[in-house]
Amino acid sequence: MITLPLTSVLLTATPLTATHLTAGSLIGIWVSIFLTLAIFSFLYEDNPIYKLAEHIFLGISIAIGATEIYYGVFKPNLIDKLAEGRLLSIIPLILLVMLLLKMTKKFDYMAKVPIAFIVAAFAGVKLTGEANANLMTQVAQSMPNLPEVYREHGIWSWDADGAGVFSSIFLVLGLCACLLHFYFSAKQTKSMAVVSKIGIIVLMLSFGASFGYTVMGRISLAIGRAQELLGLDKPPIDVTITSGGDPINRMSLVRMISFGTLILVIVFLAVWQKRRTQSEE
Amino acid sequence: MKRTVPLIISFIVGVVMVGEFFIPHYRYRAVTSELLEWGLILAAGAFILGLVNLIQVNLPVVMQKKEDWGYKLVMIITLVVTLGIGLYSGTGRQDDGQNYKWLFDYMFVPLNATMFALLAFYIASAAFRAFRARNLEATLLLAAAILVMLARVPIGEAIPVIGDYLPKVMNWIMDVPNIAGRRAIFIGAALGAVSTGLRVILGLERSHLGGE
Amino acid sequence: MYQLLKRFQSMDRRWVFLGMALAIVIPTLYPVHFPTKVDERVQSLYDRIDQLEAGDTVFVSADFDPASRPELEPFFRANLHHMFSRDVNIVIGSLWPFAPPLVTPMIEDLATQHGGVYGEDYAFLGFKLGNELAIKMIGDDILKAFPVDSRENVTADLPIMSGIRQAQDFELIVSVSAGFPGTREYVLQIQGQYDLEIASSTTAVSTPDYVPFYKAGQLFGLAGGMPGSAHYEQLVYRDYPVEGVRMMATQALDVLNLGHLYIIILIVFGNIAFFLTREVEE
Repeated sequence: MITLPLTSVLLTATPLTATHLTAGSLIGIWVSIFLTLAIFSFLYEDNPIYKLAEHIFLGISIAIGATEIYYGVFKPNLIDKLAEGRLLSIIPLILLVMLLLKMTKKFDYMAKVPIAFIVAAFAGVKLTGEANANLMTQVAQSMPNLPEVYREHGIWSWDADGAGVFSSIFLVLGLCACLLHFYFSAKQTKSMAVVSKIGIIVLMLSFGASFGYTVMGRISLAIGRAQELLGLDKPPIDVTITSGGDPINRMSLVRMISFGTLILVIVFLAVWQKRRTQSEE
Repeated sequence: MKRTVPLIISFIVGVVMVGEFFIPHYRYRAVTSELLEWGLILAAGAFILGLVNLIQVNLPVVMQKKEDWGYKLVMIITLVVTLGIGLYSGTGRQDDGQNYKWLFDYMFVPLNATMFALLAFYIASAAFRAFRARNLEATLLLAAAILVMLARVPIGEAIPVIGDYLPKVMNWIMDVPNIAGRRAIFIGAALGAVSTGLRVILGLERSHLGGE
Repeated sequence: MYQLLKRFQSMDRRWVFLGMALAIVIPTLYPVHFPTKVDERVQSLYDRIDQLEAGDTVFVSADFDPASRPELEPFFRANLHHMFSRDVNIVIGSLWPFAPPLVTPMIEDLATQHGGVYGEDYAFLGFKLGNELAIKMIGDDILKAFPVDSRENVTADLPIMSGIRQAQDFELIVSVSAGFPGTREYVLQIQGQYDLEIASSTTAVSTPDYVPFYKAGQLFGLAGGMPGSAHYEQLVYRDYPVEGVRMMATQALDVLNLGHLYIIILIVFGNIAFFLTREVEE
């Protein structure tokens, strides 16, 4: 493994001449920070600004999804082909209309045909994919070539992160124990109980590793937000807000906006909490 | 009849799709490509169904001013405005200065990212309140988790003496017990997928077709 | 002591949230750097990409959204930079509807840096819904899956797509995947059938699922989560330096140190308090 020291190239960025920040961008930065803090306010308690942000999110995400689906699927794969006079494209159009009839009560039975089509298509495709890649390949790779493993790594090799005959046998036995635990968990004889226990131990190690990675993944997402709120997501260039105005560092500007918005949100939550307590009394 | 036709279509489409894996002939592939394209269009249609259903469910709440109707109104307005802007803007919707791009960059991105960033805090809360080493299995799970968390970050590698071995032990956990467990799950899932797929294609599984 | 421990165990979770926030914000503002060792799976990915020759054509599937951006954007940028630096032709597509508006500026940014010409050196085919069906179509006939690209040019007419009809016509595939559909579906649907070389950059959550694919040879490289992106960044910018580059994943890795330590402390102290109070109760 290579050890790479972190160098000063990490955080440097050549400052550019001040760029002008349009009103749209400035408002956008504020809206972005407000919506971020609105969602984070849920950590305090479910509150009106969180609900507002949540509903905006629902609306905008579905709209963007629908827009991209129109330009990504409907237009190139259906509309343009029909416009070119491709008669075969009438069939998916008919199927699509039949599917959309599901919204009606009278003709919703017609949606069964396109639903059957799509479910069967996915079933057929998944069947072969899972059988080949998960069943055959994974099972085949679980059969170690022990003489070769011994030649390469011996019984145990720290240099190869524990590879060796021991690990290969552990993997196969662990895999069998897990499979037996899943499939024979109904009848527990004494010997099966031992095998099942080994299977559970292997699974717990696996899930522990999963949990560790999950923690890492979740914290990474929060780090991204912190970088944006602190203006570290983009180079710390100088920007001007008004034409001819003094340049201000973008990072400082973002931090000021973040701080100001945070105060606003905290004040709102305090007032809302107070009013709620008063109305409950 | 209402069920027979869909079942026949299920069988034909399913068999053709399974055959795609085994038959590389270009004419056969032309047929399967066409069917796959129809499948993409129908999958997109299912999304549109979801969109319409969302409006069908929430519009009455707004009209009748039921609970949280204000929020539902905001949602519907946002949806309609964004969709309108997106469809109107055309291919250049992602260019600088476009309203669609503004909505995406300054509204959707922070909302989407922050929704998932909340999980970091909940996982911290769960770690403190719920993760207890009550028995051997739970202890092993926590030990593996702590080891992975330490070994995956530079500070773990910097610990004197054990820092060199932490990544090795972590890699061993990932390469041996993790693979054993995952493969068992994959094999089980694959068997399930194969049997369910066969049941759907042969018409034994009909729940997706609903009642008569 | 017992009462103190009981109160500690049942303390308002908002204090835990505040602690988490500080564990993220403080190292973001005041990072402490530690050296890091490159993972073998990332090294393997890097080495194979480094073997690509000028004129080779690669397919990159950008399947992520803003939520997974901190983990995957650094890899995506570094990967495009790596391949542009080697004069590799890059065809990008996506299976996630929220990816195109996100990745288009990144692609254009890097193409501009390298003087790439659209349609000759790189192309973005846009988004295709359909999960496994879309991937199957990419495997069978990518021109049918993407009849036009994101700029509504006819895909078959693009010079970069000359001689490319199916997935196996690409030298290799890089899947930058945040979940479903993504790397797993590429491996299940087309890797085995067409014997494709596929590498993956994925979120930390999915990494343990893909390690079996890597070990079985179904993936030739795997960059998992923020550390994977950071390691890849460091390798790429070491060999293909860029003046003033911002290595976002490497910066974030320093923040992860304290984040992980905080979680470990919570688990340890939570368990200590639990066992001590249980002893008293028993």
